[in-house]
Amino acid sequence: MNPLEHQAQLADRFLTRRQWLNRFGMGMGAVGLGAMLGEEARAAADLNPLAPKQPHFPAKAKRVIHIFASGAPSHIDTWDPKPSLTKNDGKPISGGNGVAFGSPFKFTPQGKSGLEFSEVFPGLAKHADSLAVVRSLYTDIPAHDVATVFMNTGSLRLAKPSLGAWTLYGLGSENQNMPGFISLRPGGSTPGGAQNIQSAFLPGVFQGSSINTQAASVDQMIENIRNNYLAPKEQRRQLDLVHQLNAIHSQNLQKDAQLEARIESFEMAYKMQTAATDAFDISQEPENVRSLYGSSAQGKQLLIARRLVERGVRFVQVWAGGWDHHNDLADRLRAKAGEIDGPAAALLTDLKQRGLLDSTLVIWGGEFGRKPTRDKNGNADPGRDHNNRAFSHWLAGGGVKGGTAYGATDEFGGSAVTNKVHIHDYHATLLALLGFDHEKLTYRYNGRDFRLTDNFGKVVKGIIA
Amino acid sequence: MKRACPLLAALALALGVATAADAKKKKPPVPAPAPAPAAKPAPPAAPTAKAPAAATTAATLTPEQTAFFENRIRPLLASQCLKCHSAAEGKTKGGLALDTREGVFKGGDSGPSVIPGNPDKSPLIRAVRYTDPNLQMPPKGEKLTDAQVADLVTWVKLGAPDPRSGAAKGKYASANERKVWWAFQPVKLTPPPAVENKSWPANPVDNFVLAKLEEKQLKPSGPADRQVLIRRLYFDLIGLPPTPAEVEAFVADKSPAAYAELVDKLLASPHYGERWGRHWLDVARYSDTVGDPAKRKESPAYPFAWSYRDYVVKAFNDDKPYDQFIREQLAADRLPNNKDRTTLAALGFITVGDHFNGNRDDIINDRIDVVTKAFNGLTVACARCHDHMFDPIPTKDYYALHGIFSNIEEPKELPIIATADKVKYAEYLKEKAALDKTAADLAAQAKAAKAAKTKGTSKKEMQKEALELEVKQDRLDITHPGAPTRAMVVQDVAMPKDSPVYIRGEKDNKGDLVPRRYLEMFRAPNAKPFASGSGRLELAYSIANKNNPLTARVLVNRVWQHHFGEGFVLTPDDFGTMSTPPSHPELLDYLSTYLTDNGWSVKKLHRLIVLSATYQQASKDNPRYAQLDPFNRLLWRQNVRRLEFEPLRDSILSMAGSLDATMGGHPVNLGGGGNNAGKEKAKGGGALRPQGNYSTRRTLYGYIDRANVAEVLNHFDFAPPEMPNGKRYQTIVPQQALFLMNNALVIEQARKIVERPDFKGVEDDEKRIAFLYRLIYQRSPTAQEIQLGQAFFEEAPAPGTTSAAPAPTVQAAPVRVAAAKGKFPQPAPRVAPRPLSAWAEYAHALILANEFTFVN
Repeated sequence: MNPLEHQAQLADRFLTRRQWLNRFGMGMGAVGLGAMLGEEARAAADLNPLAPKQPHFPAKAKRVIHIFASGAPSHIDTWDPKPSLTKNDGKPISGGNGVAFGSPFKFTPQGKSGLEFSEVFPGLAKHADSLAVVRSLYTDIPAHDVATVFMNTGSLRLAKPSLGAWTLYGLGSENQNMPGFISLRPGGSTPGGAQNIQSAFLPGVFQGSSINTQAASVDQMIENIRNNYLAPKEQRRQLDLVHQLNAIHSQNLQKDAQLEARIESFEMAYKMQTAATDAFDISQEPENVRSLYGSSAQGKQLLIARRLVERGVRFVQVWAGGWDHHNDLADRLRAKAGEIDGPAAALLTDLKQRGLLDSTLVIWGGEFGRKPTRDKNGNADPGRDHNNRAFSHWLAGGGVKGGTAYGATDEFGGSAVTNKVHIHDYHATLLALLGFDHEKLTYRYNGRDFRLTDNFGKVVKGIIA
Repeated sequence: MKRACPLLAALALALGVATAADAKKKKPPVPAPAPAPAAKPAPPAAPTAKAPAAATTAATLTPEQTAFFENRIRPLLASQCLKCHSAAEGKTKGGLALDTREGVFKGGDSGPSVIPGNPDKSPLIRAVRYTDPNLQMPPKGEKLTDAQVADLVTWVKLGAPDPRSGAAKGKYASANERKVWWAFQPVKLTPPPAVENKSWPANPVDNFVLAKLEEKQLKPSGPADRQVLIRRLYFDLIGLPPTPAEVEAFVADKSPAAYAELVDKLLASPHYGERWGRHWLDVARYSDTVGDPAKRKESPAYPFAWSYRDYVVKAFNDDKPYDQFIREQLAADRLPNNKDRTTLAALGFITVGDHFNGNRDDIINDRIDVVTKAFNGLTVACARCHDHMFDPIPTKDYYALHGIFSNIEEPKELPIIATADKVKYAEYLKEKAALDKTAADLAAQAKAAKAAKTKGTSKKEMQKEALELEVKQDRLDITHPGAPTRAMVVQDVAMPKDSPVYIRGEKDNKGDLVPRRYLEMFRAPNAKPFASGSGRLELAYSIANKNNPLTARVLVNRVWQHHFGEGFVLTPDDFGTMSTPPSHPELLDYLSTYLTDNGWSVKKLHRLIVLSATYQQASKDNPRYAQLDPFNRLLWRQNVRRLEFEPLRDSILSMAGSLDATMGGHPVNLGGGGNNAGKEKAKGGGALRPQGNYSTRRTLYGYIDRANVAEVLNHFDFAPPEMPNGKRYQTIVPQQALFLMNNALVIEQARKIVERPDFKGVEDDEKRIAFLYRLIYQRSPTAQEIQLGQAFFEEAPAPGTTSAAPAPTVQAAPVRVAAAKGKFPQPAPRVAPRPLSAWAEYAHALILANEFTFVN
C-alpha cells in the first residue's frame, strides 16, 4: 500500500467513525450499541485504526521487543572491546580529557561468527550468531532524560510520537483486546516519563500503556482491572449507554481527537478486563519455562513480554535500567549485566523454540554511551562519564543479520568513526526491518507530513539479512 | 510587531523606504487601564549609515549598522528562518544557510538570497513579500508581519550589513543572545492596540488578542453560554463544579455585574488556594518523602512537608503578593521584620526535593534547578558541567548559585510553628518520650559497643534498629493528631564561603572561586557580590524584582496557561532560546506590568484575565479556523480542556455529597497501590503511607511518595515530583477508563448520588434524569437525552429503583492498601458488594461519559 493511501485510509476511519457515532447518536436512542455492532460488524472492523495492516514492503519482523537499558551502559565494557585502551590504562589519552580506563572485563570471540563478547554476558554469548551489534551509534545530548526521549521519539524537544506508536500506526495490532503498545517497567517511573510512550499528534489509540510488573498479581499490576459490582453483561450495557452519551456530546464539539481517543480507551479497557488478566499471568507458564527465565524482575518482565507478543501485541518495551555507572563500574556493571544476561538469553531461546524469533525483532541498548576515561565522582573505584559520541546496541531476530558487528569507534572508543549511525539512521533501520520506508511512513499534522526520522535518516543495510 | 520609532521613520524618509509604521498606519491606541506604567524608552534606532553599499564585513560596519542587525535582523532570522536554513543546525533547505553572512550572500541553489541595496531584485525579499506564488517564505502561509518585511527591506537597502563572521559555531554566540533573545530584554509596555471591532473588547487583554485575530482576518467566537461559563469558571478557579442551585442562580441573574461578582466570590473561596496551590506544588516538586528508598540509611519521610503544602495554599488564599511569596520561599528566616513564624514553612520550597541518597552536590543541583525554573523559567542546572549550550548562562553562574546553596544547612530539630490542643499534644509528647528513651538507650548501647569494639554484625543490627526507630518517630509525627507542626527550614552556616567552579562538574577538579551572586546577565554592571549570610536573601531580592525580565513574565505565563490550556510560551519552565517565542509578546508584557504595578497581586491578575471577552468565548470548533490555526494559538475560541485528576476526583466526591472539605494537615491515603509496589519495604516510603480506606478529602491532601507515586496518579498524568513541572502531560490510556469504570471509590459515589435525599424525593423518572444532568453536567438534559435515559431503565434487568436498604459504609468496599511490611498482599477477598440499582448504574454512566471530564 502506498503511504498516502495508508494515510487516507486512516483518516477515513476516524472520519467515518465519527460520522457513524453521530448518526448513531442522532435518533436511535433506545438501540443498544451491541445490536448495532451485530448489524454492522464488518463495517465496524474496517473502522478500527488498530486493525492489522500491511507495511510498504514484505518484511520478516512483525513485532518488536525493545529492551531499554536506560542509564547509558558503557559500550566499552559490553559490546565494543578496546585493547588499546587497556594497554594505556592509567595514562592520559589524547583528546580524552583524563586518564584511560581499560575495561576490567575480558572479551572473547563466540559462535561461528566470532563476534566478541564481554565476560559479563555468558548467556547471550551462546546466541552470538543471532546478534547484530551496532558499535557506531551516536546521539545529540548526553543527558539522560533528553537522550532517552530522543531514543524513543527521535525528538529532543517537541512532543513527537514514540517508535512504538509509529509502529502501531503503521502495522496495527493483532490483538484487539489489549493495547498494541505496552511498556513494562519494574516499578518506579522511567526517565522522561510518559514522553517515551506518547502518541503525541498521532491518535491516542497508538499510545503505549505503562505497566508496573513488580506488583504481586494481575489485579495489582493493572489496578481496577476487575469490576466487583456489575456482571460483564450489565457492564456492557452500561458502556453502550456511555457511547451513546458520548455520541451526543461529540456532535456539539465536532472535531476533537481527544474525545475520540477517550471513547476508544473505554472500549479497550472493557476488553482488557478479560484479555489482560490472562496475558500477564505468568503462573500459567509451565515450570520449565519459568525456570528458563528465572524469577528475577527482568526474568518476569521478559516472560511477560513473550506472552504479549505471542498474543499479537505489536510493540513491547521493557525497561531494564540502572546503567549509570559513574563509579564502581567493575562491580556494578557486572551485577547489572547479570540481571539481564540470563533472562535475555532465555527470551531468545524461547522465541526460537516457538518459531517466533524470525518474526520478532529484539533490541537492547541505552540512550548513549560512556567515555574511555576514568570518572571518579568522589569514589575510589572508577566509572565512566556520559558520552553521546559513541555507544552500542544489539539486535536479534526478525530480519537481522546475525553474528555481525557493524561500524566502529576510534581506538579508545571515544567517538564513532566508521559507518556512524545516528539515532535517526537507527530509527530508519528499525522501520525498514518492519517493512517501512521511513520517508513514507508519515502522518499529516498541522499542515505538514511528519515522520519518525524528521528530515533525516539513512537505513543501515549492513545489519539487515 | 508594530513599532513607532522616530529615528527609523527619519531614516526611511531619507532612504525612501516604507517602514512598519507606514505599512500599517497607526491608529490612536485604546487608553491604557488605570495603573498605566511609564512607557519604556524606544528600541535602538536603525543606523543612519550611508547606503546602499556592497556586502560589508564586520570590520567596516558602523556601530549603528551592527545594532540594527542585532536588534532587528538577527532575532528575525533566528525565529523565522533558521529552523530550515541553518548550517549549524544541519538544515539548509534549497541549499540556503542564513546563519552566516557568507551563507546569506552565497545564497542557495538559485543564487544569492540578497542583492545588497536592491530589495526588489533580492530573492529573500521576494519570498517574504509573498508576491510570487512559487516563492513564499516562511512557507505555508506563515507570512511575516508587515513590520518584519519592512525591516528586511530596510536591511537590504542598507547593503545588508551583517557583523557575523566565519562559519557559524554552535547556534548563537552567548553574548548576542543576551542582547537579542526576547525573554532577556526588559519587560516593555505597549499600549493596547486599536481594533476594528471596538465593541468586542471587555478589557485591554482583548485588544491584544483581537488585533492579532484581525491581522489574519479572523473573528473571535461568540460568548459561551451561561451554564458553560459558570462550569468553566468554577473548575478553573476552585477545581470543583457549581451546584445546580448556583448554576440556576447565575443563569437567572441578568445583572451585568453578575459575572464579576461570581469571579470575586470564587477568588475569595478557600477552595481557590487548594486549586492554585496544587499548580504551584507541581512546580515545587512537592513530595512527602525523600526519594528512592532502595539504599537509604535514613527514614524516607519528610514528616512535615505538608506544612509547606499548607503554606502554599494559604499564600494563594491570602493573595500574598507574589514577590513576597518568592522572598519567603527563599529566605523567610532572614527577612527583616518578618514576625510571622508560620511563614518559615515557606522554606519547604528549598527542602522538599529529592535527597539523592545524601549526595550534597545533587541536592544543591536540585535546588538550583527548582529556583531558576520556577521563578525565572531558566534551565540553569544545564550549566553544572559546561556553559549552557543555548542560553547565556556560563558555568560560573551555576557555581555562584552553588555557593549560596552550599552555605545552608537543615537543623536537626525543626522549629515548631503551631501546636495542637493541649490534651492531644500531651498524648503525643508521652508517646514521643517513650521513643526518645528507646533512642537514648540505643545510643548508649552503641557507644558501649564502640568502646568494647564489638563485631560489625551487631553494629549493623543497631543501625537497623536506629533506622526503624527513626521511621517510628516519623510515623508518629506524620499521623498523630497531637503532633506539633514544624517548618522544614534551612539556615545559613556561620562562616559562608564562595564555591569554586567544578570543572566538567567534577568535584575533585576545582577551578576559580566564584563570588555568590545571581546570573551575570541580570546583574547591574557594578553590583557587589552577595555578602549577607549565604546570600539567599539577596538572591530573593534579585528574583522578586520588577527589573528581572523573567520573574513576572514566567508567573503570568503560568496563570494564563491554567486559564486557557496553553501559555503564551508553550514551555512554562523554559523561556530560554530553545523555547518557542510567545504567541502574544505584547500581551504577556502588558500583563506582567499589570502584575507588578498592582502589588504583585495574583488575584487581580486572575480577575483581569477571566473578565476578558477572550476568556469568556465559546469553545465550539470552527473547521475553517482550525485549518488556519490548528492549535488555536491566536485564541479564536476558548480551548476545550480535560480535567486533571484532582478536580476529576474531587468533583465526583462533591456531587455525592461525600467531599470532606477539611483543609490542611497530615497527608491522607488516596487509595490504591504505589507504582513501586514490589519494592515497598518497611524502610521505604510505603511504611509511612497512610493506612485505612481511601480518604474523601480533596485530592491535593493525598500522600505523595516521590519514589513510589500512587499508580492512579501516574495514570492520570500527575506531575512527577522528581523535578519541577509547570505543565502536565495529557495522555489517554485505558487505565484511566478502568479507574472510572471499576474503582470502588467512583462506584460508591455514584451510589451515594442516587441516595441523596433530594434525589430520592423526586418521584418522576424524567425529573430524576433532569436532576442528575443538572448535578453532574450542570445543565438540563435535552428530550433526546431523557429518552435515552428512560430506554436504559426500560431495558434494565431489575426494575430501576433506588434501594430502600441502608447505605453500606464505604469501608465495605474492597479497597486494597499496602501492607506495612514486605510484599503486597494478594487481593483482598472480594466482598460481594451490594448490587447497584439501575439508577446508580445510570449516574455512574454519566460520570464515565466524556462530558463529565471535559470543560468547554
